[in-house]
Amino acid sequence: MTEIIKRDGSRQPFDAPRIVKAVASALNDAQIKDNDFAEYVAKKVANTVAGQELVDIYDIQDQVEHLMMSSEYHNAARKYIEYRQTRDIERESRNALSRDILSIINQDNEELLNENANKDSKIIPTQRDLLAGVVARHYAKQHILPKHITAAHERGEIHYHDLDYAPFFPMFNCMLIDIEGMMTNGFRMGNAEIETPRSITTAAAITAQIIAQVSSHIYGGTSINEIDRIHAPYVRKTFEKHLQQGMRWIGDEQKAREYAMEMTEKDCYDAYQALEYEVNTLHTANGQTPFVTFGFGLGTSWEERLVQKSILKNRIRGLGKNCKTPVFPKLVFAIRKGVNFNPEDPNYDIKQLALECASKRMYPDILNYDKLVEVTGSFKTPMGCRSFLGVYEEDGKMIHDGRNNLGVVSLNLPRIAIESKGSEATFYQLLEQRLQLAREALMTRIQRLDSVRARVAPILYVEGACGVRLKPDDKISDIFKNGRASISLGYIGIHETINALYGGKSTGDLYDSEELRQKAVAIVETLRAAVNKWKEETGYGFSLYSTPSESLCDRFCRLDKKKFGVIEGVTEKGYYTNSFHLDVEKKVNPYDKVDFEQVYPKHASGGFICYGEYPNMVNNLKALENVWDYTYDKVPYYGTNTPNDSCYSCAYEGEFNATSRGFECPQCKNRDSDKMSVTRRVCGYLGQPNSRPFIKGKQEEVVRRVKHL
Amino acid sequence: MNYLQYYPIDVVNGEGTRCTLFVSGCEHFCRGCHNATSWDASKGTPFDQAMEDRIIEDLGDTRIKRDGLSLSGGDPLFPGNLSGILKLVKRVKADYPEKNIWLWTGYTLEALSPAQQEVMQYIDVLIDGRFELDKRDLSLPWRGSGNQRVIPMKSCIH
Repeated sequence: MTEIIKRDGSRQPFDAPRIVKAVASALNDAQIKDNDFAEYVAKKVANTVAGQELVDIYDIQDQVEHLMMSSEYHNAARKYIEYRQTRDIERESRNALSRDILSIINQDNEELLNENANKDSKIIPTQRDLLAGVVARHYAKQHILPKHITAAHERGEIHYHDLDYAPFFPMFNCMLIDIEGMMTNGFRMGNAEIETPRSITTAAAITAQIIAQVSSHIYGGTSINEIDRIHAPYVRKTFEKHLQQGMRWIGDEQKAREYAMEMTEKDCYDAYQALEYEVNTLHTANGQTPFVTFGFGLGTSWEERLVQKSILKNRIRGLGKNCKTPVFPKLVFAIRKGVNFNPEDPNYDIKQLALECASKRMYPDILNYDKLVEVTGSFKTPMGCRSFLGVYEEDGKMIHDGRNNLGVVSLNLPRIAIESKGSEATFYQLLEQRLQLAREALMTRIQRLDSVRARVAPILYVEGACGVRLKPDDKISDIFKNGRASISLGYIGIHETINALYGGKSTGDLYDSEELRQKAVAIVETLRAAVNKWKEETGYGFSLYSTPSESLCDRFCRLDKKKFGVIEGVTEKGYYTNSFHLDVEKKVNPYDKVDFEQVYPKHASGGFICYGEYPNMVNNLKALENVWDYTYDKVPYYGTNTPNDSCYSCAYEGEFNATSRGFECPQCKNRDSDKMSVTRRVCGYLGQPNSRPFIKGKQEEVVRRVKHL
Repeated sequence: MNYLQYYPIDVVNGEGTRCTLFVSGCEHFCRGCHNATSWDASKGTPFDQAMEDRIIEDLGDTRIKRDGLSLSGGDPLFPGNLSGILKLVKRVKADYPEKNIWLWTGYTLEALSPAQQEVMQYIDVLIDGRFELDKRDLSLPWRGSGNQRVIPMKSCIH
């Protein structure tokens, strides 16, 4: 008699009726009536195993799958496979939770520990956060999300981002904090009533506190839109205070004014220094330095200019005794014709300072005012590193501050392309199915927030960070409606998708082929059309977002490599290319790269960034300015990757060599990660890979980056 | 005259966005030279009229504006290169008087021959001197060792 080896290793006699039952149930799910077929499958399998003493349960299931696939009942076959996978996942996940917890204790799961380059998994508070994340992710997959969404996520067809926070916790992604409203109207934080600040020193200190609080209640980045405009009144107050004192002690008004200006400049510089230190020493409840972005550059008053200069000068100076490059706050500098673009513009001097800063510290990235308005409808700083809000009006007035993004679900486009086996028609059919899945997944994010009350996050909903003052028992869901918040479909790997779908010698490379470029844009246009439709049908601000894919570049590719093997130009490198970006290995000049990428932001207007890889530009700001100027009417948001690392062994300042084992000083060959400061772009954010390693696929991508000059 | 490399867009050799030509031929044989294959004047590709026209065209590009031309090598002032270089710099200055020319040489300014000095009339910035390995310093702009100088040429014809 034949015996079956079960998954746990135990044995059991072969039982044909179980197969009949399983197949019948799959037929039933597919609404097919054919009892004979179930009997037929069971009999066929019984025949093949007859005479064998031991058969593995997996072999039996594979045979059933095969028989069903080669029959006319493809839908039933799919149901059977889905059922099998769901059971596999359930079984697997029972062990997964304890395994994940153990890996935090043992520090041996690279994926879990290095998923976010901003988290130092060696320290206890971060480990507590990771532990909470493991449990939240596990619970959400088992008990909150619909089974088929969890299964699609596990298979790597879609990626439900930030599962370690939401939907377990009713948290959203990223936002523009309404600092102006909070400071003007006062608010309560912890046990303290905070009134309108009377100096820039206090305003900066309170800003740091708000950032810390907000960052502990959301999982994505917090941005301050136009911080120069928002902080200007407090610079003025500081000036007036000094002027009063000057008049009292000096008497002469001219002299007193000069004195007040000088004192204010010093106070303002010190205030931003303190704010920068504060941000970099903060540890949020999420176990990391807050992901915070300062947007500035458009103000032309004395106060606003002073804020801009103070932020840049502090950044140029660097942090601490080694003058290290800080990675937070991210700085985003707005460039506008008539403000700072041309030498005759009033803030042209600040553009020069921004260029110097970018050459030494990589930030600021730039926002090109006119192009941004053209692409997204209005001017605003990105939330976090690259998420952009659309236009939203209240009482005929455009509102930006206090708005947010509800989260992202990304599509694995290369997977769809691989599965389509070169057929464009199949690709678009499958894409349609996956889009449906992504939409359902995104709706679970919205539903999770539906009945939530303001009291879960007073700083956001009661004290004004979201631009509203709800009562603790009020529902929060209304402030996410009608496009006030965005919710985003993400995508990854246009480069690999095109290779998988149209690869072959006749067509050549995406960059070199006009035809393939159009095919690539067509895919992104299809995604955009889908989110437009969802927006129309639901009233929620669905937008298309070019996923930064810090750990996702590794995850999707790893899963696809496991499933489909090594495919040249697709899975071979160990990472997928960021959204619509040009292949990092393609050797083109930055001007041509801008031209290549400039077609995408208008379709993916919910999130995008373009950048170029430069050599050290400290001695050539003029050339850096040439590239910035070139981007002005082409891309809305641009970053120049100009590595400027420093060696504490030999005092070398310049670019370190990236190797797959780490970084090396080119002058003295120092490899000790404690004796260097190395800064690289991880995604829209910077990271310091020497102290907190990137996930494997990301490091591989960094090593392969070629200079565009 | 032969050349080894031509970068139509360059930001590393001289200020601004530039075109850079590396010619073959050098008699300094500096220890630690970053480009020792360029010593042999017969290496590389003959610098012909088409190449000269291409440089002129690139310098005039209106999409990607160039600040000027950089001449390096090898040594542009290597005796065998002088006539070729002179013809090129004369044409660049005639066609684009507003654009500047930077030149790297292993000779020192004070020791230039009359023929080399003739070329110098068309050069805006000279980086002179041999590369000396014991004075290697990666932090210096536009040059490799501490003895080398970046000299703005006031006598340059505009």
